[in-house]
Amino acid sequence: MLDSKIPKGSLGAKWEDYKGHCKLVNPANKRNMEIIIVGTGLAGASAAASLAELGYKVKAFCFQDSPRRAHSIAAQGGINAAKNYQNDGDSVFRLFYDTVKGGDYRAREANVHRLAEVSGNIIDQCVAQGVPFAREYGGLLSNRSFGGTQVQRTFYAAGQTGQQLLLGAYSALERQIALGNVTMYSRHEMLDIVKIDGKARGIIARDLITGKLERHSGNAVLLCSGGYGNVFYLSTNAMGSNVTAAWKATRKGAFFGNPCYTQIHPTCIPVSGDHQSKLTLMSESLRNDGRIWVPKKQNDNRKPSDIPENERDYYLERRYPAFGNLVPRDVASRAAKERCDAGYGVGSSKQAVYLDFAFNMERYGKIEVSKRQISNASHEEIMKLGKEVVAEKYGNLFDMYAKITGEDPYAVPMRIYPAVHYTMGGLWVDYELMTSVTGLYALGEANFSDHGANRLGASALMQGLADGYFVIPYTMGNYLADDLKTKDIPTDSPEFVEAEKAVQADIDKLMNIKGTKSVDHFHKALGKIMWDKCGMARNEKGLKEAIVEIQQLRAEFWKDVRVPGTANEFNPELEKAGRVADFLELGELMCVDALNRRESCGGHFREESQTDEGEALRNDNEFSYVAAWEYKGPSQFELHKEELVFEECKPTQRSYK
Amino acid sequence: MEHYNMNLTLKVWRQKNTDAQGKFETYPVSGISSEMSFLEMFDVLNEKLINEGKEPIAFDHDCREGICGACSMHINGRAHGPWAATTTCQLHMRAFKDGDTVTVEPWRAASFPVVKDLTVDRGAFDRIIEAGGYVSVNTGNAQDANSILVPKDQSDEAFAAAACIGCGACVAACKNSSAMLFVSAKVSQLALLPQGQPERKSRALNMIAQMDKEMFGSCTNTGACEAECPKEISLTNIARLNREFISAGFTYEK
Amino acid sequence: MKWSQFFNTSIGKKLLVGATGLFLCSFIIVHLAGNFQLLYNDGGKAFNAYAAFMGHNEIIQLIAWGLKIAILLHAFIALQLTFRNRAARPVKYAVNPGNQTSSWFSRQMAIMGSILLIFIVIHLADFWWKFHFGEIPTQNYGGEEPLKDLYTVVQVAFKELWIVVLYVIGMIALSFHLIHGFKSAFQTFGLNHVKYNGLISFVGIWLFGILIPVGFAIIPVVIYFK
Repeated sequence: MLDSKIPKGSLGAKWEDYKGHCKLVNPANKRNMEIIIVGTGLAGASAAASLAELGYKVKAFCFQDSPRRAHSIAAQGGINAAKNYQNDGDSVFRLFYDTVKGGDYRAREANVHRLAEVSGNIIDQCVAQGVPFAREYGGLLSNRSFGGTQVQRTFYAAGQTGQQLLLGAYSALERQIALGNVTMYSRHEMLDIVKIDGKARGIIARDLITGKLERHSGNAVLLCSGGYGNVFYLSTNAMGSNVTAAWKATRKGAFFGNPCYTQIHPTCIPVSGDHQSKLTLMSESLRNDGRIWVPKKQNDNRKPSDIPENERDYYLERRYPAFGNLVPRDVASRAAKERCDAGYGVGSSKQAVYLDFAFNMERYGKIEVSKRQISNASHEEIMKLGKEVVAEKYGNLFDMYAKITGEDPYAVPMRIYPAVHYTMGGLWVDYELMTSVTGLYALGEANFSDHGANRLGASALMQGLADGYFVIPYTMGNYLADDLKTKDIPTDSPEFVEAEKAVQADIDKLMNIKGTKSVDHFHKALGKIMWDKCGMARNEKGLKEAIVEIQQLRAEFWKDVRVPGTANEFNPELEKAGRVADFLELGELMCVDALNRRESCGGHFREESQTDEGEALRNDNEFSYVAAWEYKGPSQFELHKEELVFEECKPTQRSYK
Repeated sequence: MEHYNMNLTLKVWRQKNTDAQGKFETYPVSGISSEMSFLEMFDVLNEKLINEGKEPIAFDHDCREGICGACSMHINGRAHGPWAATTTCQLHMRAFKDGDTVTVEPWRAASFPVVKDLTVDRGAFDRIIEAGGYVSVNTGNAQDANSILVPKDQSDEAFAAAACIGCGACVAACKNSSAMLFVSAKVSQLALLPQGQPERKSRALNMIAQMDKEMFGSCTNTGACEAECPKEISLTNIARLNREFISAGFTYEK
Repeated sequence: MKWSQFFNTSIGKKLLVGATGLFLCSFIIVHLAGNFQLLYNDGGKAFNAYAAFMGHNEIIQLIAWGLKIAILLHAFIALQLTFRNRAARPVKYAVNPGNQTSSWFSRQMAIMGSILLIFIVIHLADFWWKFHFGEIPTQNYGGEEPLKDLYTVVQVAFKELWIVVLYVIGMIALSFHLIHGFKSAFQTFGLNHVKYNGLISFVGIWLFGILIPVGFAIIPVVIYFK
């Protein structure tokens, strides 16, 4: 039975109570304790900085050449916080409620409530670091709306919020590096967890420049290694984003929670051809001012400007009048797929819908005209002023769209289509963020905890920073207080030797296959299976086929992959090969989980389980649990269930109508 | 947008490791779609090299949406290629035409040693940030976010400087391999904000001292960095850095 | 940061280059005004009187030595920075952007500066050395004492074609050096403001980059053809 260690007491008092009673480590003892942190995105960098500030000795690892390049940097739209600066009815409870509801009642209430409680502190901390959030003329912070909410609680820095927040955390981390409290290992990849007496005590890492394997020991290991969306090959993730750290942990006994929950983001630039290496997101914040539509006629090949207003179907506004274009991501994505599958798609591939700014550009233009007291403004003048307003809000996104597509989004509507973006699933963790391996923690997107089956926009940044800045500094002490006697863990113990040998054997095996096909060939093939059969819509038949196909592909990979070069040098192909090998195992587990969950919820849509109107239909009686999978060997996974108890948010059919 | 296919000749710098001698290799590539990104064109070339049993070209890249700052190619004499305000990953093949010869080199600077082929080590930038590119505020110290008022214009200007992605194009484009634009972006961001005031003087002095220690060249105000910066960081930031440094040098007691 | 450390940083050094540069800019205005007296048809009366005043007034002499120190300092530090800048890129690019990303003038500061330095050395040897330490005829314009006839020395020198060509080349170098140098000094001092940049750039290009060098160059040319 899984023990999630949720503190007793009422929901609102749990975290306060926990903080008041958790064990502490005194400063002198902290200096003798080492903590290993894998990944330096929002969760990793914030945890590394915060723990080092407390006095722990931290070793941080990232595969990029600098911690500043972690993929958190690409987050665009914003970060939520229950500050209620807009006086529009926001509160901790409402943020908590929106998140649980948005997650389709598959998240752990206690974690989400804690997230909502600390959300405000995150904004305070970031502002203190010098993060230049957008401001109003009075000098106060500005907010905007995101999907799945009816209040404005999203703080932002143009379309580069993730960048600014990460640079804030990165600067805090660099400060600790300068002070000698953190040792930074960039261009290092973690390739295994080392367990001694059942506890995580270190890692095996590969220096990506020299190819040398290194042993690092510590009192605890934190995985902050992000999500696994790249299992689909095409996603909005960075090319290097991978599941390797989390998967190695899974193989060492950490349970993997809800692997099938993947988020397909509704507004991405559509695929343009076979050469495509990644997909680019157009921030959800665009749905504040963009209206989504398709032609009312099937296979309409007219230019968008030639289609009159009454022949356009603003299908989100039609189907969900209460939330309109700001429905949660899963709902918006499925609606776009539904329209395209029914033959209403636009563009040459017909796998796209329009995101149109003309309406709001005109609205903004009129506001400007009135602000500037211009009389008899022409339509051109209004649109020009409106364009300036839109450019200030989303300029970098519009420029990016223009560069990629060669079209001017100010003049013609954007073409968008859903794409894999985020993974709600991840390593199962308890309330203290510890995985099922003692001393091994998972933070940020790498864990499963806060978003249930669907994440609301602007909540990923919030969760990563909450875990790193405000949760782990407390829960870490509660574990390490009992570990004071363990100091300077030697790295020549049999466990370390064994682990290094196994990693070396895996690398040698990859290098010695000398097959005929590139790593990318297998990655693309896996991605296609996953997208077709474990993507936006899933069914029993497809998932069963996918499992067999992935097993076959994996066997072929280990027979026929070609990794050029040697293992003792900078070898990006070898790095990719190791990551794809792990994706080939994870992909199967995702399908197993998706097959097991015979209900639709959030991002997981089982075609067998839908309402008459095509909405996701949950089955709370049977599936109100977290599926935590234990690795028992190749293709063997054992299901452990954590029952979800809802005290405050009683599950109902989610409605955004 | 009309798209077309093209054949190109690529001249690419190959270098086994930091200590090895490098040289240019010539590769023909064919059937490149104008809709590809420049890096996708390199993916095609690498796939071909792997299939031919040759070693693929190592290059830095990650997010491929112009924000992580990893990609770093010097293309036909231009940092990040011919388009203004664009990273290499966002450069699309529409910028080239059939039959073009494209020369691709790594960033060249003593402070950015080549790791392999087109990959360089930009650790010097991290060390400059370590010297003072932060506000010394521990987690949990902060007051309510709205208790610090920042005029919008000033906030916008700080943001424009903070948009730097640390890619190193400024160094690569500068004939002196100067890192002034990079340093000025961080110093400006924090000098413009109230949060940066307590450490304003020591920050400017220490970051410049570290910049010099890393053996970057000095600025001769040619403006090439601004012209090549994918995030359009302005030269006014360098002026501000000079101002910050001079006033700190003349008044800071330590 | 101690003063010695401050002026040893890259910015500290550039501050010295900029300050000496602007000081030299102020000097050439005075110098040119004085030189125009060479074009008077008064047999050198005004010019020689001016030369005598400049050569004997103690304050002016002090400034004159300051000028020479400024020239040496300017050249020495600038060359030091140039060598350092060259060392910062040990392997050169195979393809360079040319004028796509920066102006030609801004990239030639070291070359133009070096030409100028050579020019200044020859220029000083020709006139200043001769005036102070060499044999030079005198002229009496009815004053108390006869004046050294620098005027005639100049008139004779500028009848030599190669000297005239040398001076024109020197002034071209001055022009190119100042087109970038004047405004660059302001940027180095941190004086960059949208409301003044236009003016600084205008003065740098038109006054220091064109008007003054052309003014200087006209003198030998006119004398040569007279």
